[in-house]
Amino acid sequence: MSSPSADPPPGAGAAPGAAPARAAPVLEVTGVSKRFDMTQALDDVSLSLHAGEVHALVGENGAGKSTLIKILTGVEQSDEGEVRVEGRTVHLANAQEAQACGVAAIYQEPLVFPDLDVAENIFITHRDQALLVNWPRMYAKAEDLLASLGVRLDVRAPARGLTLASQQAVEIAKAISLEVKVLIMDEPTASLSDHEVRQLFRVARQLRDRGVAVLFITHRLEEVFEIADRITVLRDGEHISTRPAGEVTRDLLIRDMVGREVDQFYGIGGDWRSRTIGRQVCRVRGLGREGVFSGIDFDLHEGEVLGFAGLVGSRRTDVALALFGIQPADRGTVEIDGRTVRITSPRAAQQLGVAYMTEDRRKLGLAMPLSIAANVTLPVLRRYLSRLGLVQRSREEAAAEGFRERLRIKAPSALHVVGKLSGGNQQKVMFGKWLNTRPRIFLLDEPTRGIDVGAKAEVHAMVRELAEEGMAILCISSDLPEVLAMSDRILVMREGRQMGILGGSEATQEAVMSLATGEAGEEDPDAGAGRAAS
Amino acid sequence: MRLRAETRREGVLLLLIVLVLFGFSLVIENYLGARLFNRVSASVAILAILAIGQTLVVLTRNIDLSVGSIVGFTAYFVGQQLSLDNDIHPLVAVLMAVGLGAALGACNGVLVAWCRVPAIIVTLGTLALYRTILVEYSDAQTILTVNLPQWLIDLPRLNVVSYERLHLRAVVAVMLAVAVLFQLLLRYSSFGRRLYAIGSSPEAAHSAGFPTRRLVFAAFVLCGALAGLTGFLFLARFGNITVVAGLGLELKSVAAVVVGGINIFGGSGSVLGAVLGASLIDLLENSLIRSLQVSEFLRDALLGILILAAVAIDSVFMKRRRDP
Amino acid sequence: MNLPAGREPESESRPAPAPEPAPMQASRTSAAARLTSALGARLRSWEGFLAALLLCIIVMNALTSPSFLSVENQINLFALSIEKVIVVLIMTFVILNAEIDLSVASMMGLSACALGWLVQHGVPMPAALVACLLIGMLGGAFNGFWITVVRLPSLVVTLAMLIGFRGLARVLVEDRSIKAFPEWFEALGQQPLVGPFPLSLILFFALLVLAVIVLRYSGFGRQVYVIGINLEVARYSGIDVARVKMLLFTTSGFLSALAGVLFAARLGTVRGDMGLGFELDIITIVLLGGVSIFGGAGSVYGVILSILIVLYLRNGMSLSNITGHLQTGVIGIILILSAMIPNVRGFLARVARPGLFR
Repeated sequence: MSSPSADPPPGAGAAPGAAPARAAPVLEVTGVSKRFDMTQALDDVSLSLHAGEVHALVGENGAGKSTLIKILTGVEQSDEGEVRVEGRTVHLANAQEAQACGVAAIYQEPLVFPDLDVAENIFITHRDQALLVNWPRMYAKAEDLLASLGVRLDVRAPARGLTLASQQAVEIAKAISLEVKVLIMDEPTASLSDHEVRQLFRVARQLRDRGVAVLFITHRLEEVFEIADRITVLRDGEHISTRPAGEVTRDLLIRDMVGREVDQFYGIGGDWRSRTIGRQVCRVRGLGREGVFSGIDFDLHEGEVLGFAGLVGSRRTDVALALFGIQPADRGTVEIDGRTVRITSPRAAQQLGVAYMTEDRRKLGLAMPLSIAANVTLPVLRRYLSRLGLVQRSREEAAAEGFRERLRIKAPSALHVVGKLSGGNQQKVMFGKWLNTRPRIFLLDEPTRGIDVGAKAEVHAMVRELAEEGMAILCISSDLPEVLAMSDRILVMREGRQMGILGGSEATQEAVMSLATGEAGEEDPDAGAGRAAS
Repeated sequence: MRLRAETRREGVLLLLIVLVLFGFSLVIENYLGARLFNRVSASVAILAILAIGQTLVVLTRNIDLSVGSIVGFTAYFVGQQLSLDNDIHPLVAVLMAVGLGAALGACNGVLVAWCRVPAIIVTLGTLALYRTILVEYSDAQTILTVNLPQWLIDLPRLNVVSYERLHLRAVVAVMLAVAVLFQLLLRYSSFGRRLYAIGSSPEAAHSAGFPTRRLVFAAFVLCGALAGLTGFLFLARFGNITVVAGLGLELKSVAAVVVGGINIFGGSGSVLGAVLGASLIDLLENSLIRSLQVSEFLRDALLGILILAAVAIDSVFMKRRRDP
Repeated sequence: MNLPAGREPESESRPAPAPEPAPMQASRTSAAARLTSALGARLRSWEGFLAALLLCIIVMNALTSPSFLSVENQINLFALSIEKVIVVLIMTFVILNAEIDLSVASMMGLSACALGWLVQHGVPMPAALVACLLIGMLGGAFNGFWITVVRLPSLVVTLAMLIGFRGLARVLVEDRSIKAFPEWFEALGQQPLVGPFPLSLILFFALLVLAVIVLRYSGFGRQVYVIGINLEVARYSGIDVARVKMLLFTTSGFLSALAGVLFAARLGTVRGDMGLGFELDIITIVLLGGVSIFGGAGSVYGVILSILIVLYLRNGMSLSNITGHLQTGVIGIILILSAMIPNVRGFLARVARPGLFR
């Protein structure tokens, strides 16, 4: 393996703490816009990165952070605007060109080659790789690189089975060996433990001191204040603010990120919460799954909406999957109607009246090439079979027609192919599919993900209606205003642990955020948990 | 010092081979000896070279089912040329075989890499197609040993080194050379490493900017070339070549690869593993034939079970490694 | 995907927490929509293409040989390949389910040889027949066990059993051939039973009707499709995926054994290499019928057309004195072309139809 021969980055060797603002930016983005079908993902966004700074990019889900990163790494191309690297306008048509310009990215879940060993994963993408691999030298170099990051890894072990943190370390080592000028870290901490986060921060600072411009994307506000030199906020695809970290307070940041009143958007009146909540249907105590989540306690009542809030990677979905029997829990108890139950398969869950609507329509939710009718009857196909085991098309179609009208699915007929519907209408088909199982406990996972504003409002109304009919609803959502507006109580999770349950006037954006990011959690992890037992 | 997974797997295979040898030596008199080595090594040579070619393709998450037909085709074609003209230089004959095999492999490669037809469909099709071309071309004639040049007839018994009655046949030496060459290629060349990378994660290979199509194409061409070489050795060994020569070798090569620990979904495995897999299969076959207790015909049944067991053990082993 | 490689290994874990719900989702879904509509269009037009091809072959055959359209020739051409086309029916299910069974031909050989062996050893014919069909079911269930419980890829499992079943067949018969069947059995295989139709043909048509009904109208058929389209969606919908796959492989073994018995009856004698290599012909017919090797797409009507095309093509070539091997080659070319054409964008794909069902 030959040594990487790229020119040293101009910023290399700059004294730590040198005022970066005065030097010319390494990477500059001006007036970038990007549109996907119905959504304006980015609207005239500008951003500049200097050598030797850690620049935090924050914003709510859907604010446009991911799109911006994709443009910077050449995965997507912008509709308008330009990207300049060291003053030169570049056209990043693909990931290789971005890498050639010295821009690399590390993702929450890195793309590694699981069968190749750690050292090889670091060096295999080098363009100037020699014809023959010098294994001893490659191992030595990989060890040096990882040691310089303070990471201890067996460079001869295959990458399969590495923790996410280790995989990220491999990617960072790769970036260093490529001598990148700009390193984008896309929510690298979302699935890391506290200790691993410390380690990552140390590496990020180290890179900064070497003169690399680090763009750091995170949901956790405490991290922003800990690591960032400057902070840029995006909201709804627009650039809101860029300020030095010293001039920003937490409240200011949250206001920039949220920036709108809850009620004006979701139009949910106060009277809806005044309805009476029925008897308890589900009681969960100490639910856990080895290495994934633990200590989940909550009660769920007829007609109640229990929100599940938390950051990406807080393991909310895993709790729902345990309750639905896809990945059964291995500790704790679940009682339904006072009877202790063991849910070990989706079929068992269905029989207990539990339904789970996935966040991933495409991969887990719908059979895209099939009709609305075939999808809506899928979990309860048995109900539509004649004595000979044949599907009774007329009954199936009638049921699907019913849902099409009731849920206002915009399709010419119930025989329309699901894959051709818009995201919002597909979401409604998923609702129909699970309502058709006549659930009593409905687990919703990101029910408004990736659908437009109009459809969102309809989904909200639907959830409200179901609750009023007496269904017990557990709703996972990363959209904070949404979860606040829809839920009677909110369970907040962080890193697989329950941080508390907030109800009534306690449930504010700030309160949920501080539990989810662990700001308040450190000293009072059980805040509000008392309500769960009541 | 921990051993690499591949090394461990190869160790297990070697152990199995020793166990088989030991087991049969209890059952069969005069089992261990020069005769066994001479006989098995010569037949392993043919299967092993084919399995090495198959390994290259399987590593990239593809499969080549047409190798049996390529072997038959090249064996027949080269045999015919040599029958017509006994003066063709041996080197020319070998190059002819390898070149023809590479050309047939290239057809597979183009269809898989650029026309984006799944490898299993392409090679099922060419399996039939190449055989058909052979049948049409040969006009149902047979290549006879008597028409072949003397050097070719002598080739199977040509020894490179002999120690008492233990012979290292030339064909075995060729196989060993090919194995060493490709083991080095896969282990040390960036080309070889990228074959692993493609099979290990096509998405990551794509995002790393590897020329995946060209690499897959190259794997098929090399596989074809090695099948061509196998065809030449096949001709030398059997002399009489009919239109059904090499029938069924494709499945045996896949079996050798699978037993040799090469992941059928690509990304892991070694040439040494493929050679050991081929050796184990051929050793079992040969020994079962000689064993009086076991019907000659039971060997295939046992072979099937052996393949299943090897793969099952491997998958359990890999699973345990994934979540400790 | 730029790698046209084999299937992905079944993932065992749920995909990790999804990334941020970027507006990307919208474009992804519409891409999926485009894909499915293209798929629908392809399906429809693929059958149209096959029908047109079939028509050409019929006209050509009829012109070259007047006897082509005669009833005797029609029945004869079916009877000559009846074992294969029976197995084609179940193979359609298996491939739609995104699996493959390479061991079918070996199972045909095994059941035929078992029949010969049992009869030779004095077992009464009816008992021997039942035993053979049982062997088929057991062998199929054995495949199913390794695939659903141990979770090995079906390609590997059935490849191993291709060798294994064939080996057992040879153990029973060795290199002899057994000719010990009672006369009535041979007559059943060789002479017309009802009108001009022999038993095997009647059985085939009965199974064909059953296959069409099960695949297109039954709940089980729906489950087969859904698993082939997306195994995870099926699992998340509470479908017992392992049960469906187990049933398919068991049935595959059963029907292969049945085909083997019919083969034995037709030839009146059994040999260890009966049906050698048939699996390739069988899979070729299914894939030519427009069934996707990745599962979930294709229809039984396409497969029926494909059966007719292959049989008529072979028959036509035989009538014009083209050898069997050349016929196989032509079919190989057609297979590759049939897999390639859908990749040439826009070819044939124009009209979409409103859903896979109905």
